[in-house]
Amino acid sequence: MSTHKNILQDGADRLRAPVAALLLMALLVCWPTSSWAQSDSARTLFADNKAGILQIRIIDITSGSKSAIGSGFVVNETGLIATNYHVVQMAASKPEQYRIEYLSASGTSNSLILVDVDVINDLALVQATGQITPVLPLAAAEPPIGVPVYALGNPLDLGMTVVPGTYNGINRTSYHPRVHFTGSLNSGMSGGPTLNQVGEVVGINVSTAGNQVSFLVPVTALQQLIAEHQLRGQGVENIRQRIGQQLIADQQKKFAQLLALDWPTIALGEALVVNELSPFFRCWGGSNSSSDKAQLLNADRTCRSEDNIYLNAKFNSGVIEHQFFWLEADKLNQLQFYAYYQRLFSDFAPGNKAREKDVSDYQCDSEFVAVNNVEAQPERKTKAVFCARAYKDYPQLYDVLFLQGTVDDSRAAFISHFTLAGVSRENAKAYARKFMEVAQWQ
Amino acid sequence: MAVIIELLGWGGKRQRYFTVEGPAVTIGRSYQNDVVLGDGHISPEHLRLDAIDPSNGVEGGWQLTDLDSLNGVEILKNSHSTSSHFTRADPHESNSLTLLGEGAELKIGRTRLRILSDSHPVDPAKELHHLEQDVGKLNRLSIWLPLFLLSLTLDIGALYASSYIEWQWKNVLSTILGTQAGLLMLALFWGGLGRFLRSESHFLSHYCLILLAGLAYSLSDWLIGVLGYNLGTQTVALVLKPLIALSFAGLLLSANFALATNMLPRQRWVSALGFVMLIIVVSITAQVSQWGEFSPYPDYFSGLEVPVLQFADAESAEQFVLGLDPIFAAADRMALD
Repeated sequence: MSTHKNILQDGADRLRAPVAALLLMALLVCWPTSSWAQSDSARTLFADNKAGILQIRIIDITSGSKSAIGSGFVVNETGLIATNYHVVQMAASKPEQYRIEYLSASGTSNSLILVDVDVINDLALVQATGQITPVLPLAAAEPPIGVPVYALGNPLDLGMTVVPGTYNGINRTSYHPRVHFTGSLNSGMSGGPTLNQVGEVVGINVSTAGNQVSFLVPVTALQQLIAEHQLRGQGVENIRQRIGQQLIADQQKKFAQLLALDWPTIALGEALVVNELSPFFRCWGGSNSSSDKAQLLNADRTCRSEDNIYLNAKFNSGVIEHQFFWLEADKLNQLQFYAYYQRLFSDFAPGNKAREKDVSDYQCDSEFVAVNNVEAQPERKTKAVFCARAYKDYPQLYDVLFLQGTVDDSRAAFISHFTLAGVSRENAKAYARKFMEVAQWQ
Repeated sequence: MAVIIELLGWGGKRQRYFTVEGPAVTIGRSYQNDVVLGDGHISPEHLRLDAIDPSNGVEGGWQLTDLDSLNGVEILKNSHSTSSHFTRADPHESNSLTLLGEGAELKIGRTRLRILSDSHPVDPAKELHHLEQDVGKLNRLSIWLPLFLLSLTLDIGALYASSYIEWQWKNVLSTILGTQAGLLMLALFWGGLGRFLRSESHFLSHYCLILLAGLAYSLSDWLIGVLGYNLGTQTVALVLKPLIALSFAGLLLSANFALATNMLPRQRWVSALGFVMLIIVVSITAQVSQWGEFSPYPDYFSGLEVPVLQFADAESAEQFVLGLDPIFAAADRMALD
């Protein structure tokens, strides 16, 4: 049995602050769930809704056996079922290799057709050929923080399970809103509903950070997707094109918002660097100033938007990362300091992960630029590097990497860096322009 | 006409020779022989050679008679026209007769012999190459010691300049010793080859040559780095570095050959070039498998030099941003491939 991967897996980043590990998501391990006294509410909810919650299976057509599993639930009388995009992604990308099917609690199974996706919110709609009851009602209002809610799904292919937990509101620290659910979601529960005490769907299970910290897609995103689908009246013809349009529209909205901001700055050494742009940016920093063994002063600040759009198990997008280094030679002589600076400069990596079938190789250029107060300080030399790789399936979208290093008479240096994943050409250029303007050695 | 009996050493090189006057030569371990050899596997009276004068169509040479020796006579090489029938004198057939031509090589016991007449032509003298005379001077203490100290200083200096962690002499020492051991091994190899082929090792000259090539390469490497830095591209280094490395390798090899072997200048250059070509073929083969491989990491030019070495002009941030379009276009083209 192969279980699906979670959307919030970390990209490989060689320079990431270790604090980022805090948010490292892992769904592949099975944690022992804490025992609880099953309330009447959970018992009734489970009994009433069991039939409307289905196991979604991705079947390899050639071998006839399941390649991935998740959960889903019935959202209307026509047999429309909601689940996560990452549950059905294999079938969406390779319809010739995989088909989708459901298995109900009563043991009936039938095939499903993918009709729409919302890749930004990790949602998908699949259509069954006949009616399935009961339909799970979607909550009209967000529940208050602290109320008990119940996640349902099929963890680890163990059968339908109910997991009680607490609704902790919409998490404002990610660009795409997620409900913070205190309860243990496990692999296979993705796409299942989380219900309030009266049996209304308040969120869709999507990911976990372990230790009872789990996340749900807010039900409003599902409501919107269903409305769009009903308006269209039929399934989306070209899912890939639909995903491309959603990515384009999402980055357009996000960057319009970010570029319109007056970017806050914070001092790092003698430089001013970009501070937390918005609540969904998380920043960490550190320095070696207290180390006796340190030969030089190295202070850094890293900001990252916790915003991963799952495109497939090995390809995610949406992340924005800023990184700044302030270096002072201290005990090192010029040449040694320069050797360190050069080593640091050569070691930058993208913030998201991707494979050859998803993106092109990075194309790069490097130039000397006259920035960082060079008129007043002509001895400062700045070199800027810009790299871009194009998305193969989604035209007009790129991952970009910018890196700029300035050094004066080799006693101090300032490195600024950003990576953007899934950005249009114009937004990337505008971002680079603004970034170079704001992050400056004073 | 005298017969020359040459004793051959390893690699067919002459160690000693005997000149014997008269029509017949006997070879063996007893003192009554014309050629007395010490090899314990040679019989006291091992073989006899009788000269055959060339006359009316009869090819000259020697008639070999195995004098009932214990271990027999093995013919390694024979140019006599009748030799094809007698490639090996059978030790069990006593007094077997074999005709040997000029330059025939025999093995008796564990000793190799070559039979020649004293009129056998020898190669003309080889001109001493000026390189050989100049390079030979590297043996002098006044040359190799300063060179050695210079390279050692530069080695340590380069390590010091590139080290940004706490300076530890033990690490430096191990690096330096490793490098020097490698260089000495290489010099020893050439010295050994010279000792074998020319009976003179020129060990220190080889060592100095290697040091010189290393210094020249380091200097050019640094210059290429500065050039690449100012041009903002790694193509310069990608093309120039191997080219320069190979030309220095070729020069070094040719000089090593001149000192260690008897090659003529042309042979030397051809051998050095052949070796360089071999390196090129091997490295290209090694790289072919890497071509077109996808990397999720950007391969940007990170070469940096100290600010004073920047001669190229800087552009404004706006110009930089406006110049980004070709990168996107290139990425688009790659994605379509």
